[in-house]
Amino acid sequence: MKPLKIGITGVRGVVGETFTPEVVVAFSQAFGTYLDRGRILVCRDTRPSGPMVRAAVFAGLLAAGCEVIDLGVCPTPSLQLAITRLNADGGIAITAGHNPSQWNALKFVRSDGLYLNQMQGEELLDVFHQGEFAKATWDEIKRAIQYEDPIEHHLEVLRRAFDVAMIRTRQFKVAVDCCNGACSRLIPRWLEELGCEVLAVNDDPSAAFPHRPEPTPETMAQLKAVVKAGHADIGFAHDADGERLGIATESGEPLSEELTLAFASWIRFKEKPGIVVTNVSTTSTVDLIAARYGGSVVRTPVGQAYISEAMSEQNAILGGEGSGGVTVPEVHLTHDSAAAVGLILEGLARTGERASAVAKQLPQLWMLKHNVPVEPNRLYSVLQNFRGAIEREHLEHDLTDGIKVILPEGWIHVRASNTESMIRVIVEAEEAATARDLLDWARDRLKK
Amino acid sequence: MRAIPTLKISISGVRGVIGESLTPTLLTRFAQAFGTYVGSGAIVIGRDPRTSGEMVKQAVVAGLLSTGCRVIDIGMCPVPTVQLLVRHRGAQGGIAITASHNPAEWNALKFVGPDGLFLDAGQARELLDIYHQGQYTRVTDADMRGVEETSGATDLHIRAILEALGPLPHRDKRLRVVIDACNGAGSLVGPKLLAALGAEVIAINATPNGLFPRPAEPLAENLGDLCAAVSEHQADVGFAQDMDADRLAIVSERGVPIGEDQTLVLATTYVLGKQPGPVVANLATTSALEYVAKRFACSLFLSKIGEVNVTEIMQRENAVIGGEGNGGVIYPRVNFARDSLVGMALVLHHLSQSGQTITECVNSFPRFSMIKEKLACPSDKIAVVLRMISREYANYPIDARDGIKVILPEGWFLVRGSNTEPIIRVVAESEEEAKARDIVANVYARVQACINS
Repeated sequence: MKPLKIGITGVRGVVGETFTPEVVVAFSQAFGTYLDRGRILVCRDTRPSGPMVRAAVFAGLLAAGCEVIDLGVCPTPSLQLAITRLNADGGIAITAGHNPSQWNALKFVRSDGLYLNQMQGEELLDVFHQGEFAKATWDEIKRAIQYEDPIEHHLEVLRRAFDVAMIRTRQFKVAVDCCNGACSRLIPRWLEELGCEVLAVNDDPSAAFPHRPEPTPETMAQLKAVVKAGHADIGFAHDADGERLGIATESGEPLSEELTLAFASWIRFKEKPGIVVTNVSTTSTVDLIAARYGGSVVRTPVGQAYISEAMSEQNAILGGEGSGGVTVPEVHLTHDSAAAVGLILEGLARTGERASAVAKQLPQLWMLKHNVPVEPNRLYSVLQNFRGAIEREHLEHDLTDGIKVILPEGWIHVRASNTESMIRVIVEAEEAATARDLLDWARDRLKK
Repeated sequence: MRAIPTLKISISGVRGVIGESLTPTLLTRFAQAFGTYVGSGAIVIGRDPRTSGEMVKQAVVAGLLSTGCRVIDIGMCPVPTVQLLVRHRGAQGGIAITASHNPAEWNALKFVGPDGLFLDAGQARELLDIYHQGQYTRVTDADMRGVEETSGATDLHIRAILEALGPLPHRDKRLRVVIDACNGAGSLVGPKLLAALGAEVIAINATPNGLFPRPAEPLAENLGDLCAAVSEHQADVGFAQDMDADRLAIVSERGVPIGEDQTLVLATTYVLGKQPGPVVANLATTSALEYVAKRFACSLFLSKIGEVNVTEIMQRENAVIGGEGNGGVIYPRVNFARDSLVGMALVLHHLSQSGQTITECVNSFPRFSMIKEKLACPSDKIAVVLRMISREYANYPIDARDGIKVILPEGWFLVRGSNTEPIIRVVAESEEEAKARDIVANVYARVQACINS
């Protein structure tokens, strides 16, 4: 099956196969229609298909009667911050985030700078499927696209959110891998403002991705080497559009992406008590840290929009997901790797701890992830059968998103993927052997 | 019959109304078809200042990039500048975004081949076949190219004209010129060229904002502002361009439009005086051109209507000048394209060299009166009308290459279906205006009766 995924988080596909100019034009017309014209910001990451997709987005938005402001290449959170400042009605970020280079996607942002929520995403899809778009006539259509660079403003917001003077006194040496993505334009500058000595690799936005733009230990080999050779205090790895962050300690040890939020939570809870919001799939390390410092954790379905909304309701002190996305509410209510970098360096400066020492204080759990390919038309019946089995066995479970089974020795989370035709199974336990047992147990029941 | 659609897909390109038929999806598909047709490579794009120009351009860019083309965006410019740049940059082709003389709500794509000429009928049909088949080249990741935005294209065009013709010879008093650019693609480059030639320039309607200060066709009835400005400033000549700056009409020093069919006659007079050689025009061009060619003992070839038909014969015959009676002058030493900029340069050189006024120039060759009419005609009736004409005028010489042209003892007339609108055009010419009117009235009545029957 050719991958084109049209879902509530946006539209995503492989350029040259399913992600055609026509699809992009139609989605942009639908978004322009959905927002009843208005002012729309557009940005992109550094993929080679960016200029093509951008032109198609412009054409669709202009045809629908929108006023378009192009922010050029910048992190998605830079666009999200620019929305309120520029009094825009919405935004489209052209980025497939952590997907490989041949993918691209549109992510839709609303007038408060947050992603469309489930309901809004479904409304947009209805407009798309109905196919009757607003059409501006010659005297309504906007004649030109305006240009604006959002990076300065993003830096300004970051400066206000953190104790820059204190961080500067530490004169950190920081290694950073921007994957030649949109962060190349923001992160090295932000680190310099924080008084860091910056050892940057892959910070050329005109070059190709040197590796998969997903900050996991598997993609951090180069970062690890730079940290060690340069005797850096810490290393940061970024995805293509500035949402996810990976950490390598000064000893060169790359941390699992699951631990980025745990690391940030440790810093936050050391500072003040409060609520951390994360999704049901993310490591329980966060709960153990919260328990140690008298904080608490609120769990949502998987997806940034849920985290943002719950953080706002709960007045949370931090949010994030196991993918490496961290939300710092003093900056804004959306994942922002630059904000995560600020929070972590501020925490290291305040506590005087080394990165490896913080990592050692994070409770160690064993997480296993497994994908079960299922035909698209059977995805939900397989999940229903699994749920039936759990209910018959009277096991404690949580239906926030898919089925999360809570057992004394650990947990099992089973859900349909948002982006591929498969069921994702995640288990976590204190011991490796237990985790393996839990996974076998889940796979067994999924087969039935 | 159902309502007549506003979308016109033809061998002259694709044309439609913004907010109605000319959607971004249609445009991006056409650009994909073109990218597929010419093969991945550099494509030059330029546009006129219509309000929809940016939208159309972005749809075109998306389509071209998706087929692996590299886009050279030369911005707002006359159509002939796109054609010039295709050759200058050795590009695979070009797309000019303009609906030329159509009103503001229209826009269109015109396709240019690697030789800088518009696609001819055969090539255009091949492009349409690819468009309709819908199997476009699609490149992935590493084969994607980007957009090069360049701003020097119109300056290059001006330099090319100056190199071919030189500045105006020095006179005691500089020629004073009023130019009416219709707020079109020639708004900036026209006055710049005239100044570079050494003329004194007064520009009106020279704000390229896509708002039409007058109907875009440089017909006499649309040139009131220009006539008044020429009189007010006591100028030697007034020039009127259309929206995409390929056509040129002239207003005399007395503030009177001389008729757009005279533009080519004046330009040809200058060129043949310098460099005798074959002349090519379409078969609806004034007989005054034939007179001028004879005066210089040069041959005149008549082609079907349409720029590409003229340029094809110009290349075959190695012509020194050519064009169309609608004010389109083609001067191959600069460009195989209808070009109002070249037209202005040639006419000013002629004035400067001859020392004559526009009125004196026009009076130096016999005046013909050309009368043009059009009437709405359903597409299924056009062939019926043409058959009727060739039957009823079977006793006269007939040229049936493009519509039906009939040579009468007192002049000629042409009946032809439009390529771009569902109408029939009737054109007649005679040495006397009354006779031309008689011919048109007679033919018009027959056509009307035939349509209604």
